[in-house]
Amino acid sequence: MHIIVCIKQVPDSTQVKVDPKTGTLIRAGVPSILNPYDHFALEKALAIKAKTGAKVTVLSMGPQQATAVLRLALALGADEGVLLSARAFAGSDTWATAYALAMAVKKIGQFDLVLCGQMAIDGDTAQTGPEMAYHLNIPQITFCESIDANGNTVVVKKLIEGGHQILQADLPLLVTMTMPADYVAKYPSFMAAHKAQDKLIRTWTDADIGADPHKLGLEGSPTRVDRIFPPPARTKGEMFSGSDMELANKFVEILKKERVVK
Amino acid sequence: MIQISQKCVGCGKCTAACPFGALSLVNRKAVASAACTMCGACVSQCPVGALSLPATTAVKKDLSAYKGVWVFVEVGNNGQTQHVRSVGYELLSKGRELANQVGEELCAVIIGSNVSPFFAEMSQYGADKIYAVDSPAYAQYNTAAYANALGTLIKKYNPSVVLFPSTFIGRDLSPRLAAELFVGLTADCTGLAIKDGNLIQTRPAFGGNIMADIKCPDYRPQMATVRPNVFKKVVSAPGKMAQVVSEMIPLPAEAAKVRVISTHFDPPASGVKLDEAEVVIAGGRGMKNKAGFDLLENLAAKLGGTVGASRAAIDLGLKEKDKQIGQSGVTIAAKFYVACGISGAVQHVCGIEHSDVIVGINKDANAPIFNVCKYGLVGDATQILPKVLEQLKK
Amino acid sequence: MAKNDLTTRNLMLDSLKQYAKNRISFNLLREYDAKNEIPLDILKEMYDHDILGVHLLLIPEEYGGLGGQTTEIYRVCEQLARIDLGIATGVFATFLGSDPLNVGGTPEQKAKWFKKIAHENKLVAYGATEADAGSDLVSLRTRAEHVIQNGKVVGYKITGSKMWISNGGVADIYTVLALAPGGPSWFIVEKGTPGFTQDVHEDKHGIRLSNTAGLAFDEVYVPAENLIGLKEGQGFLQAQAVFGYTRLMVAAFGLGGGEEAVETALEYAGQRIQAGGPLSQKQGFMLKLITPHYIRFEAARAYIDWTAKQLEVNNHGLATEGAIAKLYATESGNKAAEDAIQAMGGFGYTKEFAVEKIKRDVKITCIYEGTSEVLEMTIFRGRWQEHLKSRGQYYLNQAAEFDALHAQNPQVGADSIALGFRALARILEDCRVNKLTRHQYVTFMLGDLISEMEVAAVFTRQCANKIVTEGSRFDLATLCTMARVNARQSAFKTAGEGLRLILGTCPAINTAEVSQAVNLVGIEDKMRGLIDDMDTVSAKLREIFKK
Repeated sequence: MHIIVCIKQVPDSTQVKVDPKTGTLIRAGVPSILNPYDHFALEKALAIKAKTGAKVTVLSMGPQQATAVLRLALALGADEGVLLSARAFAGSDTWATAYALAMAVKKIGQFDLVLCGQMAIDGDTAQTGPEMAYHLNIPQITFCESIDANGNTVVVKKLIEGGHQILQADLPLLVTMTMPADYVAKYPSFMAAHKAQDKLIRTWTDADIGADPHKLGLEGSPTRVDRIFPPPARTKGEMFSGSDMELANKFVEILKKERVVK
Repeated sequence: MIQISQKCVGCGKCTAACPFGALSLVNRKAVASAACTMCGACVSQCPVGALSLPATTAVKKDLSAYKGVWVFVEVGNNGQTQHVRSVGYELLSKGRELANQVGEELCAVIIGSNVSPFFAEMSQYGADKIYAVDSPAYAQYNTAAYANALGTLIKKYNPSVVLFPSTFIGRDLSPRLAAELFVGLTADCTGLAIKDGNLIQTRPAFGGNIMADIKCPDYRPQMATVRPNVFKKVVSAPGKMAQVVSEMIPLPAEAAKVRVISTHFDPPASGVKLDEAEVVIAGGRGMKNKAGFDLLENLAAKLGGTVGASRAAIDLGLKEKDKQIGQSGVTIAAKFYVACGISGAVQHVCGIEHSDVIVGINKDANAPIFNVCKYGLVGDATQILPKVLEQLKK
Repeated sequence: MAKNDLTTRNLMLDSLKQYAKNRISFNLLREYDAKNEIPLDILKEMYDHDILGVHLLLIPEEYGGLGGQTTEIYRVCEQLARIDLGIATGVFATFLGSDPLNVGGTPEQKAKWFKKIAHENKLVAYGATEADAGSDLVSLRTRAEHVIQNGKVVGYKITGSKMWISNGGVADIYTVLALAPGGPSWFIVEKGTPGFTQDVHEDKHGIRLSNTAGLAFDEVYVPAENLIGLKEGQGFLQAQAVFGYTRLMVAAFGLGGGEEAVETALEYAGQRIQAGGPLSQKQGFMLKLITPHYIRFEAARAYIDWTAKQLEVNNHGLATEGAIAKLYATESGNKAAEDAIQAMGGFGYTKEFAVEKIKRDVKITCIYEGTSEVLEMTIFRGRWQEHLKSRGQYYLNQAAEFDALHAQNPQVGADSIALGFRALARILEDCRVNKLTRHQYVTFMLGDLISEMEVAAVFTRQCANKIVTEGSRFDLATLCTMARVNARQSAFKTAGEGLRLILGTCPAINTAEVSQAVNLVGIEDKMRGLIDDMDTVSAKLREIFKK
């Protein structure tokens, strides 16, 4: 069995700050991390590997620095890495990104399962996985909390409105994962980090994956930013300051005034 | 990277606008660095039109053939009965406005089994036409089946706009179709409008405290998803009955590749659901720890409310992910909302702005949350709330 | 297997940070600090091969370790110090305890003991210090006498005692320095050897999560094969061979402890509203209590990293550089922790915040592995030799290098470095001519000025070469501004302090002449724009550390 896990390097959202004047992100000094949803998907792939002996390949698109998340994945137990990196990918929206990743998956060759995080925390679209599944012409199951694979089928727990479903599906298949609230990401030991240096990371460009240039980067991206603007200002309400006790009294007063309590 | 022409006057407006810090002034001219992602956010900020994205050479489609605003109306199921999810009506209400603006039809698409009982209500929210794919084969959502059905209709009728609810189903179906149709898709829009014949899709973007208008000028249909509670339901045509077009579309073979083994609905939650709650108490990073959130739970219990959290608090593991309020979580429409230790980034404000009374408690007097509050308390919620609870005991 | 690259180092540090984040809360640290107890379960987890296996860094690859290079070891030390200096000391003691083996052990000894440490996760202690032999090991009292059978030395009987040994009460394996008939030598002693006992754990001012205990040896028999290197009299050489390296590690401790304290204070200052705005917006607050420390940290980081990279090439030695790194970084870290308390006012003085503990902890870095005064002496001796050997040209040659650097890149303060080196050369020469180094105080202070100038010079040179030291959170432009500020202040301190020393000890010197020679006025002239530069750094700090 061969599992391909798609991963992305993102700024650590717990450390990103916003410039109060311009409203733009302050990226200086913000460390990059492996997108947490992808981290979870990777751990699930590695659990399948532990059970079935599957091979796990990790795939990422991004600048050379994105090698860091591939290396992390290798240290955690993935077997090989592929980095898609070229100027031709710049300006890609989810359509072009999914197309490029799907072309890379095809180039990797035989596979049974593609695992993705539900979404990247720096974009929040949750589109790339399903779009890839279309390009690969395979079925998809999105928003899964757990996955178990054996032989030719997988069984997943998929979230639905107000509950969940247990689904069974044939391979090949693409699954996007979402993690439970109490998920704590695993990190590699020093020795595992050390040994990951000897695992293979291939770097491919647009030429290597035989992509249609009209479907890459800006050319392959239907969406355009028309304009950006600060969130509309509203009139400020009443402001109160004072000791904790005074503010507590004020809060109770507000509760009464707005008839939340009698 | 972004192209900068000789027209640049070195005013610096673009450098402040760049979400990636890729633009800087060198010798009074804007210069882009390798950090440029060609997002295009700067282009409209330039007062002299010196910035542009590289021209694309894609063959332009004839867009005039695409007409009509479509809404994918989702059928929900609670284990016993099925119903139309309210967000479908919200989207029809918004769709009606858009359709009026461009002078085109508003069409609802409904896929499922035995859905005709819903036609009357769908019509009241303004649908001119209802495309119905109604067969027992569609009783359960299946990506391949639904994508094939909706894709077939879109290719047959060529709508200009297709709106989806940002639900588990909408978010599964819409990108699959967007990929197939080679069109853009904007997730979780907070505003929709028509400008120069294009659908302008507004959403907070780039993770910062900024909004972006997104458009897809060269591609049709224009597709977007919208979270529940973002738009108001408006009955615009009481008593009217839309024209119903029934479509028979057989299931594709691929549908059998994914099979439902069992479906489980969560037992009704002890409290009220966040998006239906009248009183919501939410906490952010400023609540510091689980003990801080216990205060919120106690207060919510006293007020008959429900507890939610900002993304920062969720990331810190202080609250379950499904209790996240904001752009990438739940949009609420409470009568009374209290934000404790939440700074109020636009991503959060998007999720609360439809609430009637907003109260903010934050240590930082300059926190943006205070810009949307009816009442703002400058102080530490972890210190104030214990005293509030004591008073409420009396 | 390849040497660890930057990505691997960063992965290791991330794993360490995540482990600490999930497992080592401030409350846990506070609890153990109050109990004055070593968190052994935490140390065991950090040694667990599947969790971190941090000790494998110091084990050569052929014995099942990962053969850590100086760079990753110092960076791990810095990160450990940011977590807790007591825990850091517990880990470091194993590093240090293994060093005599690393330097002087035979292949068979290395194979036996390193494999044991690697696979059985053994804690090691380094037993050198005695009541009368601290930083200076010459007055060693512990003895190792021959045990002879059939005319052959089959073993040793060790008698004596050791003091203040980190991991003293909890280690499994001890490397012990003792005076054998052939001279000072290192021996490996295992816990449980008859006659070998450990004293109770000390009640210390800081690093209370580190076990510190005395050792007592009463005719403790060790077989001859436990003599490291199987040759007597190599002890001092083996100890000194690693000083450059071990002191670099403690330098990283000072850096990490200081950074953690000031970062805590800066986060607090971003939220504390005083007179209408956060403290971090107040110029005086920043320039007095915060900004200068970050500048010194980045200078220290550049110097430590530069020395580490040199050590990776030269393997051992660089005793003067190791001493400079440790003196500069630990004194900077100690001062920074003190100011962090000041910056937080009453809050900083309570145990509710980490700075109070860090202040107590970081003080040890100015004491162990060579007190600051011993280091000042070492640095002075090392460079005094160079000054004499070169007939006063040692620093003048470096001044010329920095003149050239300034011509290429005028933004990094290389001109100030050149002036500072010239002043230093002149001060050393005046000390030589007037025999002023007979004053011990002068030698201490010269050691301090030498370290001040050499660190500033390396920082400036790294910036001129566009090198952003790994682990730094600043961009090159900010680092250049920092280097410029640092170069000016170091030159100013060197010239001013130097004049104070030579005029203070030798009234015969002509004030006007020496002032001109040291060119204090020229250095003062470089101060233009200094406060603006510091404000620029403050603005960057607010941006990076805003919560």
